[in-house]
Amino acid sequence: MSVPKPPSHESKIKGKEAEAFIHALRTHQVDAIVGDRHIMVVRLKQAEENLKNSRDQVRALATRLQSIRENERVVIARDIHDELGQKLASLELGLSWLAQVTPKQQPLQEKIGSLSALVTTLIQSVQRISDELRPGVLEELGLVKTLKSEAREFKEHTGIPCTFETNMGKAKFDRLGSVAIFRIAQGALTNIARHANASRAMIALMKRNNDLILTVNDNGKGIAKKRVLSANSLGIIGMRERALALDGTLTLRGSTGKGTTLTVRIPLSRVLH
Amino acid sequence: MKARRHERVRDKTARGATYVFRLFVAGNESNSSQARGNLARLCEEHLKGHFEIETVNVLRDAATAYKYNVLLTPTLILIKPPPKVTVVGNLSDNQQVLAALGLTGNGR
Repeated sequence: MSVPKPPSHESKIKGKEAEAFIHALRTHQVDAIVGDRHIMVVRLKQAEENLKNSRDQVRALATRLQSIRENERVVIARDIHDELGQKLASLELGLSWLAQVTPKQQPLQEKIGSLSALVTTLIQSVQRISDELRPGVLEELGLVKTLKSEAREFKEHTGIPCTFETNMGKAKFDRLGSVAIFRIAQGALTNIARHANASRAMIALMKRNNDLILTVNDNGKGIAKKRVLSANSLGIIGMRERALALDGTLTLRGSTGKGTTLTVRIPLSRVLH
Repeated sequence: MKARRHERVRDKTARGATYVFRLFVAGNESNSSQARGNLARLCEEHLKGHFEIETVNVLRDAATAYKYNVLLTPTLILIKPPPKVTVVGNLSDNQQVLAALGLTGNGR
């Protein structure tokens, strides 16, 4: 019995037949592809389910990691505030007492004065570090006002004017969502201050259809594509993990002369109460 | 070469024109099983007593698949009556399959 020759596939698939094949493949209605030499069993549905499961696992892991990281920050912030803050306050009081009991000793007064100034700076530093680790203002004022305040502080610290826009003034964000968005914006501003060489920056928090869109933009030198994708860009990886944990996406686009734009898109249902 | 293994089902009460189908499947893979079930149901409902189904498992019989230029499974070919019709997929869209086979509105 003679075996028929395998079909020459390239010349066979045309027109409606090709459309039917594409439809069958797209709708996962194909079990096997009959090749010239082999018959390949394809389990598209199963492969897609496996991929979805893997993505869900990665997302769950990212969420868990973010939660652990936030909790650690809270503990560290509390320790710094309680331990260092209180001891520095005691030191300040002690110096003040020394100044009172030695009013006529000029060299000592001068030394006490400079030490007091140093302690005041240290207290402010401890407060700032503690706030950065655990933004108390976020819990007090909510996300929108915190981002507004962050834009203002960014200008004060860096001298780079930073505007803030939103159409979500009355939105009620849940804790996880607001911390994630705040941290992403904070990370983006840090990158602008460190790397962008920009003369202006902008934060926008907008509701568009069923998504929340966070945009952080600058007019600096623009991030290089290889840096966006680099395994060493830990800040970007961390921001992307935060977005991913909320079923969101993060994109970074940079071009020379036009600056860098970070865009985060998160379903509103994942961040609102 | 392995012998061809066809599962042939002929309705012995067939009268008049008999619809002859050849269904190419890949063993008991999900879509292939669905296509078998959907075709059997469709024939019972619309061609009662007037159909013949030959099932070809391409994993055992690639030669027949080559002969009929079958590139994907499941593929259903209506051999008779002419014109020849080819439908790719698990035949889950009943209306589309009936339309492709020219079985809509003919009373069968």
